[in-house]
Amino acid sequence: MVKYVNAAVAYKTLNGLICVYKPPCVPVRQVQHTIVTNLCRDLNALPDRPQEKRVEIIGATNAPMTVKLVPNYADDPLVCGPRYTHGDFRCSWATHLGLFTSGVLILGLNEGTRLTYQINVARPTRAYKVHGQLGKATDTYFWNGKTIERSTFSHVTRAKIDRIVAHMQSAHQKTMFELSGLHMDSQTTYDLASQGVIRPSNSKLPVIYGLKCVHFEPPNFTLEVQAVNEYEKYLWTLIHDLGVQLKTSAYCTGLQCIRQGKFTLEKALLRKHWQLDHLIDNMDSCRELIEEHEHLIRPKSAHLSV
Amino acid sequence: MNLNLFRKSFVVVKRICNVRYLYTSKSNLNFTVVNFNEKKENDALEYTSEDLSTVTPYFPQSFNLAAYVNSSETLQNLVHLNVNLSKIEKNPIIVEKILKLNFEQDIKRGLLFIKDFVNGDDIGNFLTKNPLILCEDVEDLEVRVNYLKSKQFEHNEISRIITKNPFWLMFSTIRIDRRLGFYQEKFELSGNEVRLLATKQPRLITYNLQHIQTNFFVIKEEMGFKDDEIKQLLLAKPRLWMMNQKKILERFNYIHNVIKIPHEIILQCPHILLHRNFKVKQRHTFLEKLGRAQYNPTIENFVPLNALFELTDIEFCKKYAKCHVDDFNMFLKTL
Repeated sequence: MVKYVNAAVAYKTLNGLICVYKPPCVPVRQVQHTIVTNLCRDLNALPDRPQEKRVEIIGATNAPMTVKLVPNYADDPLVCGPRYTHGDFRCSWATHLGLFTSGVLILGLNEGTRLTYQINVARPTRAYKVHGQLGKATDTYFWNGKTIERSTFSHVTRAKIDRIVAHMQSAHQKTMFELSGLHMDSQTTYDLASQGVIRPSNSKLPVIYGLKCVHFEPPNFTLEVQAVNEYEKYLWTLIHDLGVQLKTSAYCTGLQCIRQGKFTLEKALLRKHWQLDHLIDNMDSCRELIEEHEHLIRPKSAHLSV
Repeated sequence: MNLNLFRKSFVVVKRICNVRYLYTSKSNLNFTVVNFNEKKENDALEYTSEDLSTVTPYFPQSFNLAAYVNSSETLQNLVHLNVNLSKIEKNPIIVEKILKLNFEQDIKRGLLFIKDFVNGDDIGNFLTKNPLILCEDVEDLEVRVNYLKSKQFEHNEISRIITKNPFWLMFSTIRIDRRLGFYQEKFELSGNEVRLLATKQPRLITYNLQHIQTNFFVIKEEMGFKDDEIKQLLLAKPRLWMMNQKKILERFNYIHNVIKIPHEIILQCPHILLHRNFKVKQRHTFLEKLGRAQYNPTIENFVPLNALFELTDIEFCKKYAKCHVDDFNMFLKTL
């Protein structure tokens, strides 16, 4: 960890991406606000630049005047306010996470806001852990809704859930080609499809690339989803649909984003570590990662790359 | 101004000159030229021996105090007292009043009065919070302090009250008396207990009474504390009555209904209600996962309720969770 000589030097390094762990039930905007507030607090606590001086020429104009160098009160932090405020930081997210989703969140600070746009347009795959529970359905498909149905689930086995999950995954392959922007019967589409999975050309429809049940312990189960363009409510409905197809009912109990492109949970900063020195370290490691994997921000082909 | 006048007269002279030129001889023309030269002596570009130090550039209305601070002695003195002018200027009404004050005449007396009760280091903070006290009449302030003295508050208690709650002295004795009476009646406090409450949390006395009523309802009816327990809670943690009622209920709900801590134990450690729910929640779920969430002192492997919010995460892991802090961090990333 580097000790910074003064706040200006530290501020200049704050250009880039940071990867934080968003807690559940905290909106992304609040995460941004907390991080910027913490940065301002830490920067203002660092040694400040010397206070400006001010030249004062006083005395009658028809006699020799005196020139004095006096401290400029207008430059005192007590008068003009703290040196760093919210207005000094631009902060944007690469991909939005819903209110109830926790997990990896990529934010861009200052110059890094440009990178977040590029990452967003490159449409990286995101991996989620979706926790569900069998035997109950709610009106919002999530734990916060009202129960609308209860059912038995003793007939559900691991094999059954795996079969249906595999079926759901293959059904999504079709949307993937529909979103490629090419004619379905053309040679180009065939060539593209023969080489593997492809990225969607726009952000209109969610595409699921992988769906797997990683944990099954009735009534609780966990799915691991690899997807692009998905959103919170879509993943909730996925669990609901799964429940229907299993001839019972299910609702989502939790949603966690475990990977965004190359950014994994290990990199993500916990809420207690949203401080200047940790954030700068995190920014450095994110920069290295971006340099290593250029295709994250500038993909060269339509094929999906992690 | 001067230049404009000069230009006007020049035009007039020129016209006269043209008209005269048509009708009269050369001598008249000469006269006009001389007149022109006379005017030139008042040119703005000419040197002058007058003292112009009183002339200042045009100064438009400013949106902050920084524009005035270099020329205002009063503001400079306030800065020397560590008053944060950038916070004061958020309210233009206050700024207007402060700018009109003269340090020697208006401020000094009030300041010397406050100095008896507020510590030198805290005076900047005090004036930042409540700059309008400088506009208040010193006699009024004396009356309000005398009221406290008449109610048998000690000098150090009074100074604590005033330091902790800069707005106390803005309230008239009638209002303060009514409010102290309200607390005494509502919570059935004795005289000593009222004094203790006012000294412990002076902000509570001048707080919005509607808010206090709401929180009283939340703590009594929704949380289900008994009257004597409420009194105990009030004297231990008066800040509970100033908190957001939804937040406090959410915290209580988690502690009482999820962790299953009875009212009596919460009363022994009311501090837990002042901490944000996520902190308690993550430590409790971690202990639960480890099988160490055992808050009953009569059974072995007892973990005190303090452990859920006190200490840093490293100390918590070492002392109560008996694991490395990295394990705790790993766990936090699964929430």
